[in-house]
Amino acid sequence: MSTLLITHPACLEHLTPPGHPERPDRLRAVESALEAEKFQMLARVEAPRAPFEVIALCHPMDYIEALRDATPNEGIVQLDADTSMSPGSFEASLRAAGGAIHAVDEVLSKRAANAFVATRPPGHHAETARPMGFCFFDNAAIAARYAQNKHGIARAAIVDFDVHHGNGSQEIFWSDKTVMYCSTHQMPLFPGTGAVGESGDYNTVVNAPLRPGDGPEKFRDAIESRILPRLAEFKPELIVISAGFDAHMRDPLANINLEEEDFAWATQKIMDIADACAGGRIVSLLEGGYDLQALGNSTAAHVAALMRG
Amino acid sequence: MAQNNSSDIGKMPFERAIEELESIVKRLEEGKVPLEESVTIYERGEALKRRCEDLLRQAEARVEKITLDAAGKPTGTAPLDGE
Repeated sequence: MSTLLITHPACLEHLTPPGHPERPDRLRAVESALEAEKFQMLARVEAPRAPFEVIALCHPMDYIEALRDATPNEGIVQLDADTSMSPGSFEASLRAAGGAIHAVDEVLSKRAANAFVATRPPGHHAETARPMGFCFFDNAAIAARYAQNKHGIARAAIVDFDVHHGNGSQEIFWSDKTVMYCSTHQMPLFPGTGAVGESGDYNTVVNAPLRPGDGPEKFRDAIESRILPRLAEFKPELIVISAGFDAHMRDPLANINLEEEDFAWATQKIMDIADACAGGRIVSLLEGGYDLQALGNSTAAHVAALMRG
Repeated sequence: MAQNNSSDIGKMPFERAIEELESIVKRLEEGKVPLEESVTIYERGEALKRRCEDLLRQAEARVEKITLDAAGKPTGTAPLDGE
């Protein structure tokens, strides 16, 4: 079995205002990096559209329809200071969620060893009924709930190493003891959540915040001492990675100093847990990462690790 | 975007610097800062914090401690911490 790469050209058509960091070139940088020789072994497929009823596992149907109806025929409409829609945004959002769902199907039916979903818009800031922080649907949350509903997985875990805290994923699973949410992120920084004391109703939320200026040592310590033991104890049957690469030292939106090899290291550590309790099953979804060079190189390191390269 | 230029902070009086710093901390804690501006505002907060610390150090250097005799009566002053 090989690693599956899922993407879709519609994700380039979610346009943001000039100068906005979450831009189509991000996806082009990722796709370009994954064209290198060593990635020729990847199985590649286009993301289907997510059915509304699957998105509705995490978001109310009237929220989904309101987003659809807010889609402009031309130009860009702002939903908040960060988040906006262009004519192609809703379709891109359906493909991003659909890519996550398809990845779950392929990995849980053993047609792929694991999968990386290179789509945009990202998802982990989207709350149950609120778009936020460049996000509309929480793709990682949808993947976890879909794995439970469609494939009968009892316990899923989300590991989020994007530099921003995934407030949406935390909110969606706050009172759900069947899904563990683990995050490393910079504090203080947007969105303001993610303190150690935020642990959910069943102690299944695990936050390991980093200080501005922290580098590989603090990041690796947070993963090894705070997150991995909790994951191992929880024994998830599927691990979903919210793979943001904005903790890279070159990223303009944060102050953490990681390099490509740190993402590869974290990926390997998560794979070790997945190997031990989840039959190696990992679905990884692109979240943030706003320096194009760092994003391309870091994604390549992450995917190479998934390929056990 | 938030104001990226911190050149105004170097001449800011303590009261204004601490007031703006408190406002930034409150906004960051409440999650009211847009993602795109978050890091810029944090960095301005750091610059304000350094300004406040510099002003406090300067003020400390000017404060002298009162020296007392054996009976506890003031006899004069001496520099704080020997500075």
